Amino acid sequence: MSRMNMHRSRSRMTHADMDEPPAARAKASDAASVKADVASVANDWLTQQQGGVRRWLLSAMGLGAAGTVLLCVQAGLLAWALNAMLLQNANVRDVLPAAAGFVLLALVRAACAVQARRFGFEAGRRVVADVRKRVLEAFRARGPAWLARQSSADLITRTVDGVDALAPYYARYLPQKAAAVLLPLIVLVAAFPADWVAGLVMLVTAPLVPLFMVLLGGVAERASQRRWVTLLRLGNQFFDSLQGLVTLRLFGAGARRRVLLAERSEAYRRETMSVLRVAFLSSLVLEFFAMVSIAVVAVLVGFRLMWGDVAFTHGMFVLLLAPEFFLPLRALGALRHARMDAVSAAGDLAALLTRVPPGHAPVSTPSPAVDAPMHPPCIELEDVRFEYAPGRAGLDGVTLHLAAGSTTVVVGASGSGKSSLLQLLMGFHAPSRGTVRVDGHALDAFDAQAWCARIAWLPQRPHLFVGTLRDNVRLARPDADDMALERAARAAGLDAVLRDLPQGWATPLGEHGYGLSGGQAQRVALARAWLRDAPLLLLDEPTQHLDEASAHAVQQAIAELRRGRTVVQVAHRLDAARTADQVVVMAAGRVIEAGTPAQLLADRGAFFRLLQNEEAA
Amino acid sequence: MSAPATGPLRRFWRVLGRQRRWMLLGVLVSLISTLAGIALMAIAGHFIASMALAGATGAVLNYYTPAALIRAMALLRTGGRYVERLVNHEATLRVLSRLRLWLFDRLLPLAPARTGFLGHADLFSRLRADVDRLEHAYLGIGIPIVVALLALPLVLAVQAAYAWPVALLTLIAATAAAVLLPRWLIVRSRAPAEAMVRDEAALRAAVGDLVRGAAELRLYGADAARETRIHVLTDEQQARLAHLDALQERGQSLIPLLAQTVAAGTLLLGAAAARAHTLAGPDVVMLVLLGLAAFEVLAVLPEAFTRWGATRAAAARVFELVDAEPAVEDPAAPAEPPAKPDIAFRGVRLRYAEDAPWALDGVDLALPFGSRVAVTGASGAGKSSLAAALLRFQPFESGRIVWGGRSITEYAADDVRAAIAVVEQRTHLFDATLIENLRVARPDATRAQIEAAVHAAQLSDVVAALPDGYDTWLGEGGAHLSGGEARRVAIARALLADRPILLLDEPTEGLDAATAQSLMGALATLAEGRTVLLITHRLEGLSHLVDRRVRMERGRIVAEEAMAASSAVLRSGRSSTLH
Repeated sequence: MSRMNMHRSRSRMTHADMDEPPAARAKASDAASVKADVASVANDWLTQQQGGVRRWLLSAMGLGAAGTVLLCVQAGLLAWALNAMLLQNANVRDVLPAAAGFVLLALVRAACAVQARRFGFEAGRRVVADVRKRVLEAFRARGPAWLARQSSADLITRTVDGVDALAPYYARYLPQKAAAVLLPLIVLVAAFPADWVAGLVMLVTAPLVPLFMVLLGGVAERASQRRWVTLLRLGNQFFDSLQGLVTLRLFGAGARRRVLLAERSEAYRRETMSVLRVAFLSSLVLEFFAMVSIAVVAVLVGFRLMWGDVAFTHGMFVLLLAPEFFLPLRALGALRHARMDAVSAAGDLAALLTRVPPGHAPVSTPSPAVDAPMHPPCIELEDVRFEYAPGRAGLDGVTLHLAAGSTTVVVGASGSGKSSLLQLLMGFHAPSRGTVRVDGHALDAFDAQAWCARIAWLPQRPHLFVGTLRDNVRLARPDADDMALERAARAAGLDAVLRDLPQGWATPLGEHGYGLSGGQAQRVALARAWLRDAPLLLLDEPTQHLDEASAHAVQQAIAELRRGRTVVQVAHRLDAARTADQVVVMAAGRVIEAGTPAQLLADRGAFFRLLQNEEAA
Repeated sequence: MSAPATGPLRRFWRVLGRQRRWMLLGVLVSLISTLAGIALMAIAGHFIASMALAGATGAVLNYYTPAALIRAMALLRTGGRYVERLVNHEATLRVLSRLRLWLFDRLLPLAPARTGFLGHADLFSRLRADVDRLEHAYLGIGIPIVVALLALPLVLAVQAAYAWPVALLTLIAATAAAVLLPRWLIVRSRAPAEAMVRDEAALRAAVGDLVRGAAELRLYGADAARETRIHVLTDEQQARLAHLDALQERGQSLIPLLAQTVAAGTLLLGAAAARAHTLAGPDVVMLVLLGLAAFEVLAVLPEAFTRWGATRAAAARVFELVDAEPAVEDPAAPAEPPAKPDIAFRGVRLRYAEDAPWALDGVDLALPFGSRVAVTGASGAGKSSLAAALLRFQPFESGRIVWGGRSITEYAADDVRAAIAVVEQRTHLFDATLIENLRVARPDATRAQIEAAVHAAQLSDVVAALPDGYDTWLGEGGAHLSGGEARRVAIARALLADRPILLLDEPTEGLDAATAQSLMGALATLAEGRTVLLITHRLEGLSHLVDRRVRMERGRIVAEEAMAASSAVLRSGRSSTLH
């Protein structure tokens, strides 16, 4: 079990910094201290977020307190009326005003409760909107290159469900937490003058309230949190098994897996129940005091009434208030899950929002000095280095000259820095050393957006957005008219795809939309590139995942597109390199060879060996 | 099909089987502790009123019994709550376990032909949410509703024994609180609740687009607009939530309001009755407190009823998923499959729906035992359908697959699969240790066998580098392994399973060239002495694994050629192109 927790906390710690390789990640420092650290970070972070919504929280608490004061008045009215009925033989007319006042106050209290909840909700809503905004800003600051290295499902869960989980904490848990301290005090103040003995009983049990706050917030909560984590893990295991159903069937392992699942949940149940038998004792004690204080108040008041030590009105008043004394604390227990959800989400969010690593944020220049070029640019890199995590260089000492209108093919193993180079050119990374110059101007002299507008990019797997095919192509130029769209589609070979789609340009794409094949998606990307008509063309192995026929067709469309542009092409198949103006061989973030294909072949260096390997395979 | 209103929930109830006894026990204990709580207040009120009356008139009173009753009720309530929580947790855990195993049993035979939703992130997370909802149905819906329905008549009976108008008043208010109010809430919240589900899906899709399409958005300068869209969606979602929350709170605050109105009404009725001497004063006090306390049982109803609809919908969705028919049924008397079968596809046609195009449109392919064949073609050409037909995951409509001289349909599908080792394109790594993941292929594998397979799969170095070696936890979906490492685990599994037929499904897809290259040795070891069926959209780099290649297009085999393979004996060198 301890390993399960370790694993969980560790993965939470490292979610935001996935750059480390698996082995390094697995060797995280002492898990127990890490875990405590995460919890306190999460709590601190949650407290920080209160700042902006304190007004709303205080309003909610204030109305809660007002409701309790009204409750005391109601109890007084009811006690008075019962007294009149019991001891003064009052008729209906005599008690009618009290009854009417009682109902009227009930109405006001209901209104208070509705409004308090509304204030609380507003606090939660504001936190959600604010944090989600900051999460998206953090995404932007860390940049597309960082996002591409993360699990997107995980980021979506954190941005949507994680942030949503904060709302109940501010909307309900915090106001209730304040109520658990404040409201018993109000009740006490009201009860004491009426009957000091009953007041004393409450006062003696009163210190138990903060005591149990600590107990519930400490021992019981930790136990409960541990169970909750294990339960979560059990759930994950179950759904993990569902996702592996095919693998299980292929190995005929379904029945065995079922036995395992049954055993684990049975073991969990036994273990949990043995823990709960003890854990519930704390709430048993709380319940016990709540009930005993009612019983003691009732019995004491009863005898003092018989002895004539206290008036019935006062005795009744105290009895009516007794159940209210512990009520807020018990209600708080019901909201503990809201807190746990929020703490768990906060750990992730705090890591995401507070630790923006350096070198990620490409700062856009406030006053762009130079207009980005309209013609094919000449790009020079001089001794460029950048790190995507401290000590982990993506590029190291890269010096390159990309002539205007030339085609440069970059080859090398995965992780050698090819994609980093493209990302650097797109401005997704800022170099930590060295300079990138475009037509003689430093890259950061351009407005970041204007520079992006000069780039067309074909990735390995273009993203299709939720929306129509038209929206997806028009992304490249929102003001493009239908003529321009048709032209781009023809040039990209998208027109053939369009003919097969019954809804044509209006075909919905994206998550629930029509699933285009890899080759078709690549044509959408090509159409975007045509529409954009940018002087710098970046190709990141766009045919890598295509079958031979589609790859060939896309290749031909690209040949047309590259004309009159500066092209940087990342390739893993070397046939593309033979026709390039320049070939760059990269390894471990460095350029180990650069020159014309003919030169490199003659040199019999790295490029030559790569070619030989490929032919042998 | 028009199911009755409670259809899905009734079915859900039946699924729970023996665990229902625990649930009934939980209801009973909850009822006892609830009634004890109500009785405590009522008796206490009666007691102090009697004592006050006795003090005022000097009458003699038996105060031992009520005082003892008060203490007894306090203890019963306290102990009852403790037992109630234990029993209800026990029941919840049993329900959870039962429900999950049931779901597993139902889904296993449906995979993969009818379980496409498991691979769809959105649908899968909805299934998770649905199961979660069903798991909480007992505590969130069952207990509050049943306890309220049982406790209320008892309270009414006590009231009626003293004064029937009070019972009538309570009945009217309780009906409003327990029936009319929830109904109103359900009706009013249905549309916003459904809209909220849509909002959430839109939000998820928008965030997904922002995260996955970040590079495109940055390049095309569209990221700010996308962020704004997410903020707008958040505002809409929160506005909808605010509406629902306000509805709920209005419903919830109506219940104490009704309770207090009943108390006031009881006071007035009681005052009249007391003056007329038809009711004793202490009884009036008791009735007022009884009504107030009884309404606490109803306070949880609005929330329970709003959950009702969602839970019912969740149950309906889960049943819809599990009610699918398995794609392939076993024959009544399955034959014993031969150990080293020759396999032949003869005019096999397969499609996924009546009106769908043919995925396999008359495939002829001979796979004598020990042959090594690559099937290539674009995506959608029918390669995966060929594998699915052979693995008996998908039925074929016409033609035959001959397996060791008999039709493949004469065997049990599990027996057919037991002869095939598959290296999947995306093999599933379970959230477990490495060794557990390897033992999926063969539970009784000895340490030596595992080490041999790991060595042959060229995984030894990886294992040595893992912090706990074989006992390293791999994390969800093998998160701690790289793509190449995961593929090696899949190869090691196939080696461990040691089956006569090897099906390689895009074994190097998604890996970079160098990694793919490094897998070749392991794959060659694996292929030795087996029938090999290699499925790939690109043969490059894999050609030495096979000695024959067929190309598929639109569900047909359009070309076939023999290959010179390094590890295979060069056949006659004939190269026949049918196309």
